[in-house]
Amino acid sequence: MHEVALAQALWRQVVCEMARHEGRRLLALDVVVGAWSGADPESLEFALGLLIADSRWPDARVRLRREPLALVCRACGREFQPEELNLVCPGCGGLDVDPVRGRDLRLESLEIE
Amino acid sequence: MAKRIRLAQRVVAESDRLAKDLAGRFNRAGVFVANLMGSPGAGKTALLEETARRLKGELRLAAIEGDLATDRDARRIQSAGIPCRQINTGGGCHLSARQILDAIAEFDLAALDCLFIENVGNLVCPAEFDLGEHCRVVVSSTPEGDDKPIKYPVAFHHADCVVLNKIDLLAATDFSLEAYRRFVRGLRPRIPILELSCRTGEGMEAWLDWVRAQRRTAAVRV
Repeated sequence: MHEVALAQALWRQVVCEMARHEGRRLLALDVVVGAWSGADPESLEFALGLLIADSRWPDARVRLRREPLALVCRACGREFQPEELNLVCPGCGGLDVDPVRGRDLRLESLEIE
Repeated sequence: MAKRIRLAQRVVAESDRLAKDLAGRFNRAGVFVANLMGSPGAGKTALLEETARRLKGELRLAAIEGDLATDRDARRIQSAGIPCRQINTGGGCHLSARQILDAIAEFDLAALDCLFIENVGNLVCPAEFDLGEHCRVVVSSTPEGDDKPIKYPVAFHHADCVVLNKIDLLAATDFSLEAYRRFVRGLRPRIPILELSCRTGEGMEAWLDWVRAQRRTAAVRV
């Protein structure tokens, strides 16, 4: 629901990095969308497309990678990818788990000239 | 020549920074801050109204109300006897740390014991945005169905307390308390689940005790 706002925040980071690295041309941006990031990849891609088309680098490509949820068990330290919503640790049966991956929406890298 | 710049930046980094600033202010003031989220109609405002009526003589309370439009909720809370500031988000689906920073300018935080932030009615988006709160409270209700925890796992997984409202309507629904508890505990094994009815008052005392206990912990941080 808030993908436009997220795309705008992401794009501000892109513009900022372009200035910092004195990039003349933006070829591509790599974005990681975690399964639990709360962002819908398709809506995000659509919103980014609008911002890019309207920018100084209308040919820039968006490479979007989906990151599955990965959890770590607090009891035994095992890392696992849950199937569906079974959040029980397959190692020790522990229920106390924390997400280690798949939580974030990240601007991973830029390809620039 | 083309080159690759590695960043690995969280897109909500700016929002996280503001939230950290808020958390610092709350801790320095010794005020306990709870961020309430839940579907529209779950009873978040009703819970705050009842909390205000029952606790205002004992603790210094205030609230911030987040809604797309109108100040109806803020007026309800004010009528229950505590200061309340309304934020209208327009089309915004969640409250942002920036909006909270602006809203708290009107409060003397050090003169408060508890500040309740009622987020926009939505079980998806508010879970993604830290507001510097000490605790997140998910408010759900029996007519919504017992499967909400597994359908909206992120909100429940990040909660510190779950309130199940409208237990007076249990008999009129197919809601299974056993299934609901199992779903919540599957996501958060040790979380308190407070079953209550804002309308009849049943179970309210356990919620007030939880608030009192959290407030004591927050006061110790100063």
